[in-house]
Amino acid sequence: MATDTEVLVLGGGSTGCGIARDLAMRGLEVTLVERGNLTDGTTGRMHGLLHSGGRYAVSDQASATECIEENEILRDIAGHCVEETGGLFVQLPDDSDDYFREKLEGCRDCNIPARVLSGREAREIEPYLTPDIERAIEVPDGAVDPFRLCVANAVDAEAHGARIETHAEVIDLLRDGADVYGVDVRHDSGPGKRRHAAPGSTEEITAEYVVNATGAWAGQIAAMADLEVAVRPSKGVMTIMNVRQVDTVINRCRPKGDADIVVPHETTAILGTTDEEVSDPDDYPEAQWEVDQVIDTLADLVPILEEARTIRSFWGVRPLYEPPGTATQDPTDITRDFFLLDHAERDGVSGLSSIVGGKFTTYRAMAEEISDHVCGKLGVDATCATAEEPLPGSENLAVLEDGMDEFGLRSPVARRSKQRLGSRASDVLETDDANPVLCACEGVTRAEVRDAIQQSGTDLNAVRIRTRASMGNCQGGFCSQLLATELHPEYDEATARSALDELFQERWKGQRHALWGEQLSQAMVTYALHATTMNRDRDPAASDGSLEYGAFDDGEVR
Amino acid sequence: MSETDHPPDDGATEDRSSDEFEPIQVFPEAEAMDLRPGADNCYKCSTCDTNCPVAEVDDEFPGPKFQGPEQWRLKRQDDHDVDESVMKCSNCMRCDSACPSEVPLSQMHNTARGEYIEERMSRFSREYLRNRLLANYRRLAPLAATFPRTANFVMGLSVTQWLGEKTLGITSERELPDFATETFREWWTERGGPAVESEAKQIAYFHGCYANYNTPEVAKALVRVYEHFGYEIMIPEQDCSGTPMFANGMLEDARRAAETNVAELAAALEDGADIVASCSSCSMSIRQEYPELFDFEGTAEVAANTWDALEYLRVHEDLEAELADASLEGDEYDEFAYHAPCHARNQGLDGQTVDVLEAIDGVEAEDVGDSCSGISGTYGWKAENYETSMKIGAAMFEHMEGAEAEQGLTECPTCSMQMGHGTGYEITHTLEILEAALVGDAGAA
Repeated sequence: MATDTEVLVLGGGSTGCGIARDLAMRGLEVTLVERGNLTDGTTGRMHGLLHSGGRYAVSDQASATECIEENEILRDIAGHCVEETGGLFVQLPDDSDDYFREKLEGCRDCNIPARVLSGREAREIEPYLTPDIERAIEVPDGAVDPFRLCVANAVDAEAHGARIETHAEVIDLLRDGADVYGVDVRHDSGPGKRRHAAPGSTEEITAEYVVNATGAWAGQIAAMADLEVAVRPSKGVMTIMNVRQVDTVINRCRPKGDADIVVPHETTAILGTTDEEVSDPDDYPEAQWEVDQVIDTLADLVPILEEARTIRSFWGVRPLYEPPGTATQDPTDITRDFFLLDHAERDGVSGLSSIVGGKFTTYRAMAEEISDHVCGKLGVDATCATAEEPLPGSENLAVLEDGMDEFGLRSPVARRSKQRLGSRASDVLETDDANPVLCACEGVTRAEVRDAIQQSGTDLNAVRIRTRASMGNCQGGFCSQLLATELHPEYDEATARSALDELFQERWKGQRHALWGEQLSQAMVTYALHATTMNRDRDPAASDGSLEYGAFDDGEVR
Repeated sequence: MSETDHPPDDGATEDRSSDEFEPIQVFPEAEAMDLRPGADNCYKCSTCDTNCPVAEVDDEFPGPKFQGPEQWRLKRQDDHDVDESVMKCSNCMRCDSACPSEVPLSQMHNTARGEYIEERMSRFSREYLRNRLLANYRRLAPLAATFPRTANFVMGLSVTQWLGEKTLGITSERELPDFATETFREWWTERGGPAVESEAKQIAYFHGCYANYNTPEVAKALVRVYEHFGYEIMIPEQDCSGTPMFANGMLEDARRAAETNVAELAAALEDGADIVASCSSCSMSIRQEYPELFDFEGTAEVAANTWDALEYLRVHEDLEAELADASLEGDEYDEFAYHAPCHARNQGLDGQTVDVLEAIDGVEAEDVGDSCSGISGTYGWKAENYETSMKIGAAMFEHMEGAEAEQGLTECPTCSMQMGHGTGYEITHTLEILEAALVGDAGAA
């Protein structure tokens, strides 16, 4: 099978989806391929901070300025993905006054609104902050849902004619002499929406221009065409707490350091992070001490964290890059700026650019710059509209806020559902059918789950990132089977079963790093529930042998 | 937040020295309490839901797991839209005892209910006025007690009951309780205070509203029984325990009442008395709800030194030996159908009454099971809850009728109303039996 497109984007993270949307809106024909689900690489493995720029206000003012500009744009175009939490840079007694002053001045230099709060004022905003706090700088940090934002970009790209293929792994980057002209991909279950158990296939996709937006994997992709991109992947751990101990982003006000941020994220709080270089972005150690260290260090800022329940931990890999010859030793010193590597200029190979470095908050600006570059290469004259055009779900949000319609749902469920769906809320939630809550932890109803299945086929992890179903404290123990049931009867039982297994496995992966205290109890309850009510420890349906029904008696006759 | 909202604040770095440490009131209002961390304890086993008497009979009620940990976990600091279903919770607090993981369920419900009333219920609605009235029965009772016969006559009129239902939403199915012609406190003053004086053995009696205005015979029984054991009894000034106020989300009313009670009871403790209560909801409130919801000085000490009246005697006296020689003749005391109130159950006291009465010759008390009576204080008085209340009570009524006895026994005033309402039986308080067994008619002076 072979197809042709104008621009081929590799990688379904924030950068790739941002580029696909931008180019599609400019009228280009775009195809995007992603190895797993959207966000599966680094985008889905970040702490969800929408930077105000305050974090870079001392060390990297160019990045800081770009952050505050993009921060303001995303509040407008992606309101349903952003929570305007505000952020605090908190100074503890050991933290330097000089740095505090530099931070404040840096914010002002970069036009980041900043004001100083006394320790008492900061504790009025966040009662669980340590009483030791000296003072704090308040900045407009926010929380952003990377899943929702990335999906909204992909959905809008599709609406503008783009083709988005997930579960389509690049197995070869096609090069003819000094020209890259396409890729071979392997579809896990055929092209189109994911469908478990459908046979896989390969496809050759040729394109006038290829954009390698695979981040930490950019080196591996480039190597397929004998090109070298020296990405320096750097891992960081993030730990998810069961509840929000804070409703404001809390940063420690001191020079770079591990474990210095708590981000309220939806129903949870995410603690981050560490920074350690790894050689392979797909295979690196995930050590318990990293989790312990993050919790211990952040408990200095928010003491209640010491005793609080952790529901899972995950590691993300930053796509750090620095130009050849810089040779920075410590990964924390490597710039967070992004680099557009035009392989024509760099290696004399046309038809391909690679994007490395960069950060989530500025994904749109990166996409704009890369799209300008691609348009230049293809001789297309079209301007970027992504800074003004709201993403699907973020149109007319003010109307939604005023709307009192709770769609027959209980107040907190209606509120959270509307926040997730934004302006799509009435389309999705207005239904004559019964609309029970399927995921009670996150307040996700059947209507929202069905809407996600419509978008993504049998992939329940794709349903998860769209709805948050199974992302709460039971980690899918009570709801994953209900989600799988929604696949039936459109999909058959075997398909629903393997979709369930896949979701359940993914949920377990992160929980392994939280198995103490209450989450251990949770895992035990989940195990007992699944083993005793669904036979999932020794499921006869999962074995090849046929079941001997005759061996069952009729039960006791009463 | 935009730049214009928070202009850079140039003076701020310099005035740091003026920022002296002051302890801050983290939770200025009970309503502002952040109970989200309590959701950490929940692993969703749903034992609370299976023990909830309201959820058992009302499919529309989402149950304590939703009301408590799930709703709190979904909450953000600025959210103030507690779901209205919290008003269907009867505050029986069974979920607290059912939970294997110490989720502060009733604390979550009480706080959410307070917030619901504060943010979502109109001060002018019939429901608010009715709830305020029911919660503050204590404020009306003195008036009725001044003219008890008139009050009883008026309240007994069917036209009054009809008006109560139509205008206030108080069910006309129930008969309002009679007011005593002489309150307990009037009797106590008339009597000249304590008949026994003791340095070593002192108790402060929290009689609550009902024993004062409606069933002074219960309060008098406590006095005679405790005096029989040589206790000097103090009757401190007291306000409502707060139970009906918590259940109606009137946290500010409850706070005011609790402040008086804690101050008075703490003073009694200071004087060397322990605190006893004859009503199981009063003791529950002081022991559990006060420390969960308030932080007046002395709250913890008062909570730790408050006892149920029977429990206190079982611990401090050899009640069994004392009762070994006691016997009660006649049908009057022969058989009782005993119901343990939820609030006694939550204090771990559900077995004690049957145990104690077993020691008295001629008295049989049969436990009618662990179901909830369904009235839960003011809950079953509301027209919209009446049916639910009776459905919950059905199991208890059935067990009472199945028992040998033709009369009932309990320690909770409203359970007693429900037992009488459902079966037509006379309902007695356990202290009245102890009084008869230990003091007999001789005490009735």
